[in-house]
Amino acid sequence: MFESIQHLLSGFTIATTAQNLLYCLVGAIVGTIIGVLPGIGPIAGIALLIPATFGVNATSAIIMLAGIYYGAMYGGSTTSILLNVPGETASVITCIDGYQMAQKGRAGPALAICAIGSFIAGSLGILGLVFLAPPLAEAALAFGPPEYFSLMVFGFIVLSNVTGGSLLKSLMMAVVGLIIGTIGLDPVTGDARFTFGSVSLLGGIEFVAVAIGLFGIGEVLINVHQPQELLDQKVLVPRLRELYPSLQDLRRSIGAILRGTGIGFGVGLVPGPAPVIATYASYMTERRISKHPEMFGKGAIEGVAGPESANNSACQAAFIPLFVLGIPFAPPTAILLGALLIHGVTPGPMLIGQHPELFWGVIASMYIGNFILLVLNLPFVPLFANILRIPKRMLLPLIILFCITGMFTVNNSVFDIWMMLVFGALGFLMRKWAYEGAPLLLALVLGPKLEVAFRQSLMISHGDFGIFFGRPVSLAFLAGTIVFLLFPLVRLAFQKRKKGGE
Amino acid sequence: MNRDEALGGVVLFFFGVVTVLLSLRMPIGTFRAAGTGLFPLCLGILLMVLSAAFLWGLRSKAKKDKGSREARPEEAGSTGQMIFFLGAMVLATAFFNTLGYPLTSFLLLLALLRILRVRSWKVTLALSFLTAVASYFLFVQWLQIPLPKGFLGL
Repeated sequence: MFESIQHLLSGFTIATTAQNLLYCLVGAIVGTIIGVLPGIGPIAGIALLIPATFGVNATSAIIMLAGIYYGAMYGGSTTSILLNVPGETASVITCIDGYQMAQKGRAGPALAICAIGSFIAGSLGILGLVFLAPPLAEAALAFGPPEYFSLMVFGFIVLSNVTGGSLLKSLMMAVVGLIIGTIGLDPVTGDARFTFGSVSLLGGIEFVAVAIGLFGIGEVLINVHQPQELLDQKVLVPRLRELYPSLQDLRRSIGAILRGTGIGFGVGLVPGPAPVIATYASYMTERRISKHPEMFGKGAIEGVAGPESANNSACQAAFIPLFVLGIPFAPPTAILLGALLIHGVTPGPMLIGQHPELFWGVIASMYIGNFILLVLNLPFVPLFANILRIPKRMLLPLIILFCITGMFTVNNSVFDIWMMLVFGALGFLMRKWAYEGAPLLLALVLGPKLEVAFRQSLMISHGDFGIFFGRPVSLAFLAGTIVFLLFPLVRLAFQKRKKGGE
Repeated sequence: MNRDEALGGVVLFFFGVVTVLLSLRMPIGTFRAAGTGLFPLCLGILLMVLSAAFLWGLRSKAKKDKGSREARPEEAGSTGQMIFFLGAMVLATAFFNTLGYPLTSFLLLLALLRILRVRSWKVTLALSFLTAVASYFLFVQWLQIPLPKGFLGL
């Protein structure tokens, strides 16, 4: 424990260098803007800015990109409260009571409690990361290919189960992502697969093109396809009369903040879109235990404090599987994994030992980043909200230009722009047909790892599938997978029985 | 049956079929010593099974709901505008190297703003020009990103 504190202190010396502070600040500001803009989320935002980090070392790069991730969580809540427009999915729940508070002239306290709650949750989340990551990394050293394979399968099934849509549709998307991930050179034999003679495809499909295409271009096309009157919708930003919460507000919120932090951290450790689930879970908990549940939906401050704390804490916790196992459980951390690989850092159990400056520097910077966001968000909220006054008709072409420029700079390749456009069109169709993009992106990033783990396991066992069931950790993950697969069926049967009984 | 969802299911089923057919052209090997095509072959088959199960589920649901369903209202989206928008991006990509970054970005913005019916020509021209100039100075001059120079040599 003392060792962790010592390492964290050394992390602070890395994070507080002028360069890293600047990158942290840039990440926090860009993240907040991305969170405010409805057309672009943290996934496309991080992907777009990866090329901007090519000239710096891996630690500074990840400090900035991580800043975008948690900055977007902050920014998303601003538009939810002021305009009832969630900047990203994790802020949907904040709309319910946050917007009601704004309607009653209490936008200031709602925004302030978001910032304070997020700061407390982020800080406690980081403490969890500091104390939990090193022992978990040590335990993960015992993982072999079968354990990794089962863990990734477990991750896909859980993610597919919780993304909100149909399990089958999410699973199909994950399999499509895995198939796309096989394009390029075979990771074991080095033979070309599905390249059709194209040299550009030998390196595989660029995941940044898929991320910007599905989540950036696809989102813009959905906006362009909207009826004309929606493109003209005027955004009215309310005036902030009072900015700071009263003592009573703080007293009512503190419990919700602490409970939200706990829920968020727990949810962040398991696969899935952690911030989204954490906000729902926190809101439900607050409503259930409240002495005045009837106030929820009418501007209860606990309904803002809890979910906002939960989503920030979940963000911090989501870094544990990424850093410790090298397996991202959600699309934004999948993009961060890609960024780490681009910078020549392979996350996994050895990361803390091999790159202590990166691990502890990034953790310390998150703490500083949370403080920057707290300072930044309160006085500059009206400024960020004013970004929304830019008409969509003008904003969407600018986003497209930024996407094309950003995509080209990854590999200086026009081929990547073509890929991005193809996946943009696909993203549009997927949204129209109600198919989720998150499982596809995650599967694309994890695909090669999954294949290598699968093939190595079978090589070790001489083709015997029993290897996945014969090792306790692998068996536990597979048992969990089966439970999650059967869960919807059991629930359906239970509902049918209940209906029959009635 | 939701037509959009069903169409997606059919497309995915055929994607699975194509994956299987292409995988069979590669060495398959055995589970003990897997060939290049084994993993995608398994994935193709899995996708076919999943999409077939999905389509079957939709069919059963449609049978159950028959008669009780109301017609789904058509969305009043602007498909033509969306296709033109995508088309402008395709053209910009096709001529990116020839025209160079500053000219492509100017023309692309001009086209996109007109497609989105920004009424005033003055606003459209000014916004396209200023953004193209600003992004040129930001990316090419300041960040030194080697973007295509095109025939203008900028």
